[in-house]
Amino acid sequence: MHITLEAFGRHKAALACFWVLVALYAAAAFAPVLAPYHFADEERGYSYCPPTPVEFLDNGRLAAPFVYGRQLTFDENHRRVYLIDKTKKYPLRFLGGGRLFTVEEPGRLYILGADSRGRDLFSRLLYGARISLSIGLLGVLISFGLGLLIGGIAGYYGGVADAFLMRTCEMFMLVPGFYLMLALRSAVPDNFNSVQVYLMVVVILSLIGWASLARVIRGMALSLRERDYVSAAKLLGLPDMVIIVRHILPHTIAYSLVAIMLTIPGYILGEAGLSLLGLGIQDPVPSWGNLLSESMGIVHIPFAPWILLPGLFIFVTVVCFNVVGDALRDALDPMMKEI
Amino acid sequence: MSLLSIKNLTVTVKESKILNGVSLDIAQGMIIGIVGGSGSGKTTLGLSILKLLPQAMRQETGQITFAGRDIGACTAEQMRQLRGRDIGMVFQEPLTALDALFTIGSQMDETLAAHTDLEPQVRRQRIIETLHSVEIEDPQRIYGSYPHQLSGGLRQRAMIAQAIVCGPKLVIADEATSSLDVTIQAKIMQLLRKLNKERGMGILLISHDLGMVSHLADEIAVMQEGRIVEYGAAAEIINRPKHGYTKSLIEAY
Repeated sequence: MHITLEAFGRHKAALACFWVLVALYAAAAFAPVLAPYHFADEERGYSYCPPTPVEFLDNGRLAAPFVYGRQLTFDENHRRVYLIDKTKKYPLRFLGGGRLFTVEEPGRLYILGADSRGRDLFSRLLYGARISLSIGLLGVLISFGLGLLIGGIAGYYGGVADAFLMRTCEMFMLVPGFYLMLALRSAVPDNFNSVQVYLMVVVILSLIGWASLARVIRGMALSLRERDYVSAAKLLGLPDMVIIVRHILPHTIAYSLVAIMLTIPGYILGEAGLSLLGLGIQDPVPSWGNLLSESMGIVHIPFAPWILLPGLFIFVTVVCFNVVGDALRDALDPMMKEI
Repeated sequence: MSLLSIKNLTVTVKESKILNGVSLDIAQGMIIGIVGGSGSGKTTLGLSILKLLPQAMRQETGQITFAGRDIGACTAEQMRQLRGRDIGMVFQEPLTALDALFTIGSQMDETLAAHTDLEPQVRRQRIIETLHSVEIEDPQRIYGSYPHQLSGGLRQRAMIAQAIVCGPKLVIADEATSSLDVTIQAKIMQLLRKLNKERGMGILLISHDLGMVSHLADEIAVMQEGRIVEYGAAAEIINRPKHGYTKSLIEAY
């Protein structure tokens, strides 16, 4: 354990990525405090309002942080143009109403700009992170629970049970993941509330991932069951389930841990894909996927490029998980020589 | 009444016979030595008593009775309860037979929990006592130790403790001391003898080492090619061997 952590620590990029992930998850956990607005808090007058920088200098003098007011006008092509109105200053308000910072009404604070309905993108990204990041973890937990258990049972018993379970796995692996996801989605009603939708996405995602894991775990269980301590456990009269859960599955930890790290980004992308198509999390509840769906209307991108930011967040998260997973694999592999 | 009685046991792999009409009786509290070269079928004999033959092997004929129960008629669940509770097993290589991921204490606790309804506190007490009875100096420390942290002798003692923690009537020791050095071998032998006396538990001592077995066993069965070729009191076998194979074993020793 110690050696593994040390080896992981030598991998500077992975360490950095690890802390990025920690920061993202922490931000998601504290979203209601960190976000200046509630995710559904909209102000139609500020549609596609560009980012409002926080000012610290008032006429060249240091002042308490504030934002200037914005004045919506239209140019000759009837496009929105927000002019900075320097006569109106709205100071930031700290720790008011359970939020770390927000701005005096009627001023609006858009750190990363606003969406079509004048909702704060920064706040929605934070709230969206709660869904996008947790769905990956929850989905992985379920599909790994399934995969480990089914793989363990198939490998340990062998014979008919093995054949039956593995053919079932192959049925799931047969269908390309995204199409299976769409098929499963179409099988559930579409009048769910947001919690039900969330759980449904989790279940759909976890139904896709378990099969390939179960196959690998089965192979490992096949070899692990020949170990002396498994024979010993049998000879000591331990129940089969205890042998599988305590003496076979824990020995697959090195593989499972890496596989988990490399599967989570797939699930995050899966959720994003579903929500992007409007099949997953529904507006007004934000997820990175449905936030990104705003930028499917390509006409908005040139004058409101910040609506692409959710894509950047997805990208960074996925890359970080992959780098951390790779480094973890190297760190857990005793055969790996340092290059 | 005999504790374990094996009658005309034949075990085959495809056409070849691994055990060929073996009969053996073990009385309560006796130490029986099974001696033979590699491939003589002694380990298979141990496994068939526990009904855990490898898949390729098949029991053709024979009846095994343990404490009045017909092993052949027992269900899988009855057999599971029998293993570990009534029949303990000590292995040759304790480092691989103990799971490296768990402490000695938790592995023993697992065995005890699988066979009794005792409270965790009581189980812990009993495990510490058992570790003490296999002459481990510091049972509290060993309870929380991982297998790799112990010396070979200590590990083998822990294995024995695990085998006897449920208070079995019979312990099968398959080459239990073969991987240990000579001085520790002698100590483990003394320990088995002591446990045999104190607890009145029968021991089936499976080994290739006739010299070692003769010090401990009351009776010895010499096996060759799946048959018991000679059977008798230990002193009798050593001093007046009848069968040629036994003689060659003694000469080799």
